[in-house]
Parts: sequence; structure tokens; C-alpha cells
Amino acid sequence: MMDKFGIVDASNLDPNFKYAISNQLGGENIKRCFQCGTCVASCPIWEIDERFNPRKIIRMALLGMREEVLSSDFIWLCSKCYACYERCPQDVKITELMGAIASIAEREGKEGNVVIKSKKPIFDKAFTNSIRKYGRNFEMKTIINGVLATKGIKGLLSYTSDGFTILKKGKLGLRPEKVKEMSQIEGIFKALEEK
Amino acid sequence: MNFAYYPGCYLHASAREYDMSTMAVCKVLGIGLSELEDWNCCGALEASNPLTLSLSARNLVIAKKEGLDVLVPCSICFNNLSRANSAIREGGIAKTVINEAIGESYQGEVEVRHLLDVIVNDIGLEKLSKEVKVPLKGLKSVPYYGCLTIRPSKVSKFDDPDTPRSLDDMIKALGADCLPFKHKKDCCGGNLLMSSEEFSLKMTGDILSEAKELGADCVTVACPLCHAMLDYQQSKIESKYDIAIDLPILYFTQLIGLALGLGEKELGLDKNFVSTIKLRRE
Repeated sequence: MMDKFGIVDASNLDPNFKYAISNQLGGENIKRCFQCGTCVASCPIWEIDERFNPRKIIRMALLGMREEVLSSDFIWLCSKCYACYERCPQDVKITELMGAIASIAEREGKEGNVVIKSKKPIFDKAFTNSIRKYGRNFEMKTIINGVLATKGIKGLLSYTSDGFTILKKGKLGLRPEKVKEMSQIEGIFKALEEK
Repeated sequence: MNFAYYPGCYLHASAREYDMSTMAVCKVLGIGLSELEDWNCCGALEASNPLTLSLSARNLVIAKKEGLDVLVPCSICFNNLSRANSAIREGGIAKTVINEAIGESYQGEVEVRHLLDVIVNDIGLEKLSKEVKVPLKGLKSVPYYGCLTIRPSKVSKFDDPDTPRSLDDMIKALGADCLPFKHKKDCCGGNLLMSSEEFSLKMTGDILSEAKELGADCVTVACPLCHAMLDYQQSKIESKYDIAIDLPILYFTQLIGLALGLGEKELGLDKNFVSTIKLRRE
């Protein structure tokens, strides 16, 4: 959709993409963006690497560059610092907008429509699985599952000595804490899945 | 002054010392805490927006039934519970989604308060300094607010997002020196540890480097993720960038506890990764 000179092929744009985003909780205000760039000036990720640019992602989304946006690494590199959210003169709520775009990307990734390279959604899944099972984060299991899924067995083994220190300090529970009314937690997951 | 205490998952695990020091300090200051019955995870930074807001709102409904406002030390939980409360109060589609998901008709009846806000603004710095038994004279600290304690300010409400001062004023009230700190409201990059370890260690490394250059004796924080990055990841940053930092990172409740003359065991000072021995005064 964008050639090597960065020129956009308008015939391949999806004009409905912005509506898909604004229908997602957190993405409601995307159409308010007037491209002032205050978000870029506030973004700590852009400060490290100028390829990651919130204004550009928003402009691409508004233009309908669906595939580029959904397969972009940037949406998984938002640190959720809320610096752009705080300063945006149009109240685009960019931090939550990035979350809304990430949710769409995750859905499309599951359906095989886009390729997601980032490991972040895999770790996030390990975390939310814990909530669904116990109602709380069972930190030890989340870390083991999350690290195993993102960094493999070698990655996990590199945490061995840290793991012992943490256990010795009594900072990780060996058993999960579980919510009593788990049916309420399951109800929340179910209700949102049906949407 | 009584609250429903929402510790959140971190304070029952890797941030145990924040939980311990919170309870010890609140006891002395007369802040009554009863743990919120059957609380659940707020969704942290990992769950999607609708899931986070709905999980958070379930906790608020329990607090409403208990007739208490919620007190939260963790800035991530504080951000999520406050955002859920704001979304409900604003009405609109988010309110419908949340209430349908939790099967309630919650209207935003309870208040969500950060522990730092309650200590600085409800207890007040005058009373706090009167309670000081061991003034922290000569101790130099930098205040590190990070993100979610102060942003978004429409949600967190209690401090200025550009020139925050609650931690600054609190450090001074304990008799310590509060050094001007440029990185005080920058992001530690904690949320990026899984997507880009390189970026997150750089962001935390910049914060630690400035604190070290200033000659601080410790960094004072109010968030378990900031703490994990500055404290637990500190040795990784030292070897990655080949620098020596060796800087203790204290939860603000641990710093208050030191000034109140509380014991190191009570404050969990042996649980921080970077040794806090240099700071202990008993």
C-alpha cells in the first residue's frame, strides 16, 4: 500500500478502518486528531527511535492504511505513560487509542489476517489467563509461562538465580490467591467475548 | 479515617515491602485499613481496555457495598480503578459496557484515592512532620513520580502533571533533602520489558544515571513497576552499560517509616534488591 518512496496507493485504502477503531472502546476520539504533533514531542519512544511516531500512526489509520497499522511494531511499543494523552489539545486519548488499535490487531492476528511480530500480546495472554483462572495475577506462574512463551527455555533458565533470590526474600507466593466469587470473573470475560 | 484497602496483586507478591510498609505507616498515622473483601486483579497493563475497566469496576462495587472509599498504593491499580470510576461517571458507551459485563448498575458512588494523596493532603504534611521521631537530616533523595501516579491528571486529580510536588513536599517534611530531578515524571519503560527490553532498560538507565550524578542517597517511588525497574533491573543496567549505580530505591512508605522510627523488618527493608543498609538509622 506504500511503495519504496513512501507514496500511498490510494486505491488500496480502507475508508472504514477509522470507524472500526472509533467503535472500539478507547478509540472513540480518533477522528478529532488534527495532526499537531504534540503527541510526538511528548513520546519517550519517539525520543529513542524516530521510526515510532504516534502522529504518523494516527494519520495512517485515518487514511485507512489498515494492514500497515495493524502489523506495525509501534502499537506494541506504547509504554502507556500517558504523556501524549495528557497534552493532546483534541483529547484524542492516544494511550487508549493505541490499546484499541492493538485489540483490533490481536483479533485480526488470530484470524490470520495480519502478522504480529511482537511478543507482547503473548505475555499479555499469559497474564489475562491467570486472571481468568484465579481472579488475580499468580505472578510466579505468569512470569514462568510468559517468559517461556516469549524467550523459550533458555530465557527462562537465565532467571534461575534471580528466582531463588526472589523466593528467599519471600516476594513470590508458591500458591495462587484465588477470588471466591469466580463466577463473577468468568461472567466478565464471557460478556466481553460475546461483544 | 477508614478506607477499603486495595493492595492489588503486586503488593501480595513482588512488592511485598510496599504492602508491609503501607500497613505499618498507616497504623501510626491513624489511617484505618480493612482489606477489600474478595478483591480481584484490576487488569494491570496487560488486559484490553474493556476488560481492565470491567475488572476494576467489580472492585468498586464491593467497596460501595462496604460503604467505604478505596485506598490504593499501587499506581497501576490506582490508574485502572480511577479510570473505571471516571468512565462510569462520564456515562456513555463505556458505562453501559462495564455495567453489562459486571451485571451491576454502578454509578461511581465511591472515591478512589492514592495513598500518597491521602498522606499528603488528608493527613497533611504538618501532622506528618510532627510524627517524625528520627528526622532524615542529611539524607538526599530524588522524587520519582513516573507516569500513573500523576497522569492522566483528569483521572488521578491530586497533583500537577507538569510540576508535581506531593513527593517533593513529603520528602522535605521528613527532614530529608529533596534534590531537583529532571527525570521525575519520565516513564521507566516497565511496560516495554516484553516488547523491547532494550528500550525499557535505556529508559530506566537514564533515570538512574541522573539520580547517581546528583549524588542522591536513594530514589523515592510510589509504584511497584517503577520500583521493579529501578531496583530489580538495576544490576542488569549496571552490567549492560558497564556503570556502577548501587542506589537504593525506596517506596515512599519505607522512607516515611524510617522517619517514624519503625523497624526494618516492619518496613520490609530487607526485601529491596539493592541493599538499603546505608539508609537504616536504628
